Amino acid sequence: MTPQPAVELTGGASLDDAPVTRAQRKPIAAPALVFGALSLTLVVGVYWFIATRPGVNPALVPSPPRIAAELVAQITSGDLFVNAWASLRRVLIGFAIGAALAALLGSLAGWFRYWGYFLNPLIDAIRPIPALAYIPLIIVWVGIGEPSRIIIIALAVFKPCVVNARAGMQEVAQIYVDAARTLGASPVRIFTTVALPSAVPYLIAGMRTGLSTGFLALVAAELIAASSGLGFMIQNAGQYFRTDTVLVGIIAIGVVGAALDQVARRIGNRLTRWSEARR
Amino acid sequence: MTTAATVPAKLRVRALTHQFQPMASTEPLTVLHDVDLEIPRGAFVSIIGQSGCGKSTLLRLMAGLLTPTAGDILHDGRPVRGLDAKLGFVFQQDAVFPWLTVENNVAYGPRCRGVPAAEREALVARWCEAVGLTAFRRAYPKELSGGMRKRVDLARVYANAPDVLLMDEPFGALDVQTKATMQQTVLDLWQRTATTVAFVTHDLEEAVFLSDRVVVLSARPGRVAAIIPIDVPRPRSAETRLGDAFAAAKRAVWHAMQSAQSPPARAPVLLTQEE
Repeated sequence: MTPQPAVELTGGASLDDAPVTRAQRKPIAAPALVFGALSLTLVVGVYWFIATRPGVNPALVPSPPRIAAELVAQITSGDLFVNAWASLRRVLIGFAIGAALAALLGSLAGWFRYWGYFLNPLIDAIRPIPALAYIPLIIVWVGIGEPSRIIIIALAVFKPCVVNARAGMQEVAQIYVDAARTLGASPVRIFTTVALPSAVPYLIAGMRTGLSTGFLALVAAELIAASSGLGFMIQNAGQYFRTDTVLVGIIAIGVVGAALDQVARRIGNRLTRWSEARR
Repeated sequence: MTTAATVPAKLRVRALTHQFQPMASTEPLTVLHDVDLEIPRGAFVSIIGQSGCGKSTLLRLMAGLLTPTAGDILHDGRPVRGLDAKLGFVFQQDAVFPWLTVENNVAYGPRCRGVPAAEREALVARWCEAVGLTAFRRAYPKELSGGMRKRVDLARVYANAPDVLLMDEPFGALDVQTKATMQQTVLDLWQRTATTVAFVTHDLEEAVFLSDRVVVLSARPGRVAAIIPIDVPRPRSAETRLGDAFAAAKRAVWHAMQSAQSPPARAPVLLTQEE
């Protein structure tokens, strides 16, 4: 039962289905690093080339050294860390709320028939609505403080998580349910010991997508009268045409987001060590 | 040979009829028709028949996984209603939980029944040992071969201390050699415990090798066409398969299976004979 994750589960490391030991696996990490560095270098190189063409305004298209200088300035002043932490905190709190709620409701809807009848219309109606559409309502109802920003991120995280959780529960193989039943498991025990563990790959896939949609919602959430955060930093710098600061903010979101995804991937791999899926 | 008259039936199937409602049709499909069957306490009984004759359905009904349309199934004289951990089931497909280690798979049934940890550990140790998987207790099923997974399945079902074991073509997906080893294991386990076994298969040789008696089902709707006692001495081993008694028993079952075939399948043959 290979899940259909909304995000890629493979790290591009193993080229072989045969089980490999840790020692055998190590050298494969080198090409991954080399090729990964290559793509980043390529993008920076092309950007650098364009930025230094005659006629290109360096104030609008800052050269990499200028961005690097701004990055150093942001780091030494500590502003970057303050903003990154403010954003990270929002994303993590929003994620925790959105993902927990989604795991609960999605599992109930996907596993118990009557919970499904009850919750499916809601879940399916929520699916096409972008989380950002709620912003005006949330401002009116909750105000412009920190709770509003967290709610928006939670809503953005909720959507992919709930859909994946439900799908994971619907895909639980009947054979395992029958096996558990013949071994004397109660319906509640089947839910906790069969349905939940076999849906874990889906739950993880949903949460990883949720984490990235959470970051997408972050900038929008920080438009709501925030005075800190990477989204705020980008917005604020944009108003002063500080394109170098904007780029530093964008890069910071990319780095923080990718790092968080790596952490999520590692946790996910640990939880699905039993799975036959390649990773 | 078992003397059915003196040993009380462990499992008794009485006037059992079962119908399915196929999705594409309004007519219900009769899978089993008026089946009567007795499985004596401690016996090893195989149920054999063509694919589609309802033998797996019969086994699922015995387990309480399905409810019969008519008739009933008595387990120690009491009707089977729903599932009962005393009726162990081994599935045709790989049913070992992939997210649990070997030992946690084996501990699953005892855990459901609330067996205390120390006793559970003893059961796990005993049954992992019995199927030769002690060295793999902490392995995940994905690290094991198909035959080894079937051993986990056997250990898991035995650890739950069933008094009837229902096996639904458990070795159908295994290669010939692994299959032979597994058959030997099943016989060893059966002889060491007081379990009654009902074993569904379409493999004639397998049925004869394992059983005290073979029940031949006719083609759909399945009904009992013949019950053949297997007069091959125990304990049985690889050499048993080469003996005359084994060949004779195989022949008897084969003939019963031939005459149990559905009339439509035989009709063209009869026509050519008349010409």
